[in-house]
Amino acid sequence: MQKSFFGALVRAIGLSVLIAVCASDMASAAQGEGSVAERIYAAAPPRLLQIRTLVADAGRQTSIGSGFLVSADGLAITNYHVVSQAVLEPDTYRLEYIAADGSQGKVTLLRVDLPNDLALVRIDKKDVPFFAFNQAALEGKLAKGERLYSMGNPLDLGFTIIEGTYNGVTDHTYTDRIHFSGALNPGMSGGPAVAADGNVIGVNVATRRGGQLISFLVPARFAADLLQRSGENARSSDVKPSDIKDEVGRQLVAWRSGLYKSLGEADFRSDTFGRYRAPAAQALWFNCWASTNASDTPKPRASVNSTECSSDTSVFVASDLNIGAININHSLVKTVDLNQFQFATYLIRISQPRLSVGGPFKKWYTPERCHEDFVQAGAAPQHPPLHVVWCAQAYRQFEGLYDVSLIAVTQDQSLEALVSRLNMQAVGYDDAIALGKRFLEAVQAGK
Amino acid sequence: MMWIEILSRQREVAARVRIAASEVRIGRGYDNDVVIDDPYVAAQHLRVVRRDDGSLFAEDVGSANGTFIDGSKTRLSDFVVDGKQPIRIGQTYLRIRDVDHEVERELIAPPERHVLPIILALVIGVLILAIDALKIWLTQTSEPRASAYFTPLLTVAGTLLVWVGLWALLCRIFTGRSHFLRNLLIVLIGLAAFSLCNEFAQYAAFAWTWPWGVSYEYVAGWLIFAIVCFGHLREIGRSRLWLKGGLVAALLAGGIGVQTLQQSEAFTDSGRQRTVHWLMPPMLRAVPVSSEDAFFDKIGSLKGELDTDRSQARPGEPRL
Repeated sequence: MQKSFFGALVRAIGLSVLIAVCASDMASAAQGEGSVAERIYAAAPPRLLQIRTLVADAGRQTSIGSGFLVSADGLAITNYHVVSQAVLEPDTYRLEYIAADGSQGKVTLLRVDLPNDLALVRIDKKDVPFFAFNQAALEGKLAKGERLYSMGNPLDLGFTIIEGTYNGVTDHTYTDRIHFSGALNPGMSGGPAVAADGNVIGVNVATRRGGQLISFLVPARFAADLLQRSGENARSSDVKPSDIKDEVGRQLVAWRSGLYKSLGEADFRSDTFGRYRAPAAQALWFNCWASTNASDTPKPRASVNSTECSSDTSVFVASDLNIGAININHSLVKTVDLNQFQFATYLIRISQPRLSVGGPFKKWYTPERCHEDFVQAGAAPQHPPLHVVWCAQAYRQFEGLYDVSLIAVTQDQSLEALVSRLNMQAVGYDDAIALGKRFLEAVQAGK
Repeated sequence: MMWIEILSRQREVAARVRIAASEVRIGRGYDNDVVIDDPYVAAQHLRVVRRDDGSLFAEDVGSANGTFIDGSKTRLSDFVVDGKQPIRIGQTYLRIRDVDHEVERELIAPPERHVLPIILALVIGVLILAIDALKIWLTQTSEPRASAYFTPLLTVAGTLLVWVGLWALLCRIFTGRSHFLRNLLIVLIGLAAFSLCNEFAQYAAFAWTWPWGVSYEYVAGWLIFAIVCFGHLREIGRSRLWLKGGLVAALLAGGIGVQTLQQSEAFTDSGRQRTVHWLMPPMLRAVPVSSEDAFFDKIGSLKGELDTDRSQARPGEPRL
């Protein structure tokens, strides 16, 4: 149920459109007739964009999104996932915009922010109205319940304004996302969400499948940072497409190493699990759920009580690659009427390493390599002997990133076992070894 | 007195004529002593006379197609009959034997059927079924069902009987005797060997953390299959064993080659090893427990392999 934040993103997530008008326009508009939404939308057209990714040779769009102008000289913000095809394969794809006022033209990529799914682009317009960022949002002072207006071009049906509610920043996530209760649709990604004053609060980015009106925005401060960081040099000289592509790899590696560093610093806590103690992540951005087979029919012959902690740390890299999830899973398995051999057979099924892939194997990964052994991670009897399997695969295109699956099965009892699993996507190899060691050390047996 | 034997294409006696005279005429015409219904035989084809020294002397009396010794391409106009090699006239094979032609000693009749092979076959058969049943029981983790035992066991027994039946039939066709029991023993021993191999591979996968036994079990499977086939072929006849051995070796090489290719291609496509990481009761562990550092040293060395895979993956492709 936690899945598909970004899974939905690629095309499923709508692009958003520009909403706001200049602050001064807004002030005057506020005095005029009509609803707030009406006033906001009336000021939007020249700064609200649809961004289309075209197959260069075919000249037709293959995906669409939204975007909005943030400076008078044509700088605009959109989502990275809206322009990712053009970033990764600049020879195959090109970008084009259509503004809500009907103007259209070429889009040039300037910078990307992979972890926050943002991109800064330039369109060939000068002295145009643009959206400003909402000061309260930049300072994180917005109150839950505030009305927000999100704009974009859902499903290529035309520019649209949607009213919704600000519901703070989501819990249990590593990357900050604004929880917006409003109906975002595919095609609106990259569009602005503004407050009643017409200034930008966040950027449309994703919806949760299976939820009702649960949508997410990238907080405006990341977009403001991206704009500020690009500084003058982005305006003066054109950036080469290959530089941006290299930048994607660098940002990915840097962001992942930060993530695993903070996971390592938070360390594992030993949670009691039957007569065992099992490592649990202390970091707040894990989502943990429990499950049991106690109510299964027919009555199970071994009881399995599990916890599954997963992190919403996936990042959209390409339309066929979402990576970065971390999973910690423990299953306490006890026999009901199985003998030792049957019990061991039962364990086989739930203790196979499963490297979860974030995209097609042949395009992104090398073949898996595994090693298994019996390991004593500390002094007995506190540390039971473990049967450990470690499987890893490398990313073909990102140096220094690996996926790792580590499984430990306790070997101190023949009719009871704790199966502990640590899956890490896109991790540095040394980070993985350090975390793996601590993980094994935290698997302990009670008295 | 002599005997004229008309042979089939398989050189078996189809008809035998006793001749009391010292001369015999053979041909298609009805004025012969022995009439042969073969359109390639002349009306008067062959004449055999007893010479003064007692030997039999054959003479082609002017046929168009000639007279040959079986297996030879030399046309003979006259020759001394030795009674061993068949003679060919037209498309008919004949054997001409004197009454004092020496015959081989009688074969010794097989003794009473031994009880031992029967018991052996029974014991191995029961053993195999018992191992299978035990294996099913020990891996039964869902609700126990009688059909979970009967279906595989009956399948094994049925396949086995059909297999042995086919080989027995072949033996019967080529040697006249089916050797059912021997064929049964051959396949039972093969099956028992495979079963043990399988158990050993699984034990090794857990106890010695040596998963390759399970991964490459198919090599042992093909090897045993080839040996079993060779055993059956040998029962059909001991002649040309090198040819049979060659056939079986080709089967073995082909089987292993195709399966290895298929596995390696599947690995290239999926990047996943088909190896199952086996578990058994902890008491069966046979290797000492490694220290954590030793384990992670090995894990560290995997990195080199992964990086090699990566550099070989697509040499030309620029990195992101």
